Amino acid sequence: MRHKIKRFRRVAIVSTVVTYLLIFVGGLVRISGAGLGCPDWPKCFGRWIPPTDASQLPANIDPSLFNFTLAWIEYINRLLGMLVGLFILATAILAIMYLRKQKRILWPSVIAAILVAYQGWQGSQVVASNLEPLIITIHMVLAFIIVSIMIYVSQQAYYLENPEVGKDAQYPAILRKWVMFLWAIAIIQVILGTEVRSQIQIASEHFPLLSGIQLLSFADPISYIHGLLGVVVAVITWYAGNQILKRSENPTPLVSYGARIMMIIILVQITIGGILIGAGLPGLMRLYHLWVASLFIGILLLLYSALKRKEVVNG
Amino acid sequence: MAENKFPKVLLWSLLGVFVLAIIAAAVISQAHKSRADIPVYGQIPPFEFVTQNNRPFGTSNLQGKITVLDFMFTNCQGPCPIMSGKMGRLYDQYSDASDVQFVSISVDPARDSLKALQQYAKAHGVTDNRWVFLRGPLEEVKHLSVDGLKLGGNFPMGHSTRFVLIDRKGQIRGYYTGTDDASIDVLKTHLNQLLKTQA
Repeated sequence: MRHKIKRFRRVAIVSTVVTYLLIFVGGLVRISGAGLGCPDWPKCFGRWIPPTDASQLPANIDPSLFNFTLAWIEYINRLLGMLVGLFILATAILAIMYLRKQKRILWPSVIAAILVAYQGWQGSQVVASNLEPLIITIHMVLAFIIVSIMIYVSQQAYYLENPEVGKDAQYPAILRKWVMFLWAIAIIQVILGTEVRSQIQIASEHFPLLSGIQLLSFADPISYIHGLLGVVVAVITWYAGNQILKRSENPTPLVSYGARIMMIIILVQITIGGILIGAGLPGLMRLYHLWVASLFIGILLLLYSALKRKEVVNG
Repeated sequence: MAENKFPKVLLWSLLGVFVLAIIAAAVISQAHKSRADIPVYGQIPPFEFVTQNNRPFGTSNLQGKITVLDFMFTNCQGPCPIMSGKMGRLYDQYSDASDVQFVSISVDPARDSLKALQQYAKAHGVTDNRWVFLRGPLEEVKHLSVDGLKLGGNFPMGHSTRFVLIDRKGQIRGYYTGTDDASIDVLKTHLNQLLKTQA
């Protein structure tokens, strides 16, 4: 049985990693302006493999829409999306085959597979909507939910495979509550961040000649609240991280490293936020701002489950 | 993954993040370059028409300006209202760019009197000479559309629905579907690029 759990856990971890990679590539598509690199879906300019030259375009497609680089960026995103879908499907199949009695693994795995199929269809809606900000936000939020489920499944499989891990560990209940609180604020921050991005996009459509920093003023006061709350999150993260390191007894490496990584990630995120404002919203920083947020949420979820597993009520 | 492998995993993850950053920077740069690469389709041939305000307007008025040009007629019930609506939106969006102009040429000069064009301009919120409506002899309009701009079509009903982007030197730089938002987004990208590079 143990080798079956191990096989499942490995597939689940790979699924999680490739999902994070897909979130990165999805952000890259958006930042590089390749969202409509393929104006149709699922094909790209009516072909399963994008054209390499405008002469290969079907007669019914406007040639002005063809850009070789953007078409291939979007196409690679779609290929990676399919790969992620297959990995998550494999995870669900393995859960059904090997871990049918482990409801806390089985159901999330199956739900992730259903969600990833829905996400594929939702990707078509992003194209059909001509990159409507709300539809893009739904696409991103779904990706965050899917990766969160995969993190949970991977971690539970790990604990099932290694029940002795952290057997001497004890964590006061308050630590888990701090992490939960941080997760809630982080989600609010993501929502505010997407709202800032949407406001900037709408403003850029109305005022195409304005620079990034000029466009940012259209997102006031949300961008101001987002920045201020970011600093608050950083302070709470460092407080909670220090509390985890001080008050945990025999913490597992996941908890001790996780707390430190959480503290470093939030500093990186605040720095990126500063660069975004200071340097007029450079593309690479916008990409990392979103991706690091998804990593931060992932670390919080890992910590939450680890702390809950060995929680002591009166710690 | 045993938990004592954490430092090693962390190191590999950091390396991965670094490699991704390099790849992402290269992709963003390449995407930017690809958008900046706007072909030249040729020079717009000479023409001389009049605006809705009865002022001469010809090839010389294109020099030093970036122009978005289309063909329309005021009685058109087909694509023209959509095209003029989208042209009007561009006219509003580029109100701060004095070197961007919009030119709509009537393909039905028999019915489109200067007064009709004036009313059409007013109905579309035109308040200055950044958007002009031109009237000229039908044969010359046809010649400009079919032979000069290679747009084809049957006049007046079957005229082209394309927007044509013309740079400051009077060179044709792109054709876009005037009824499609995605195509107009590409036009805006190219227009912005011309504004930056030809300033």
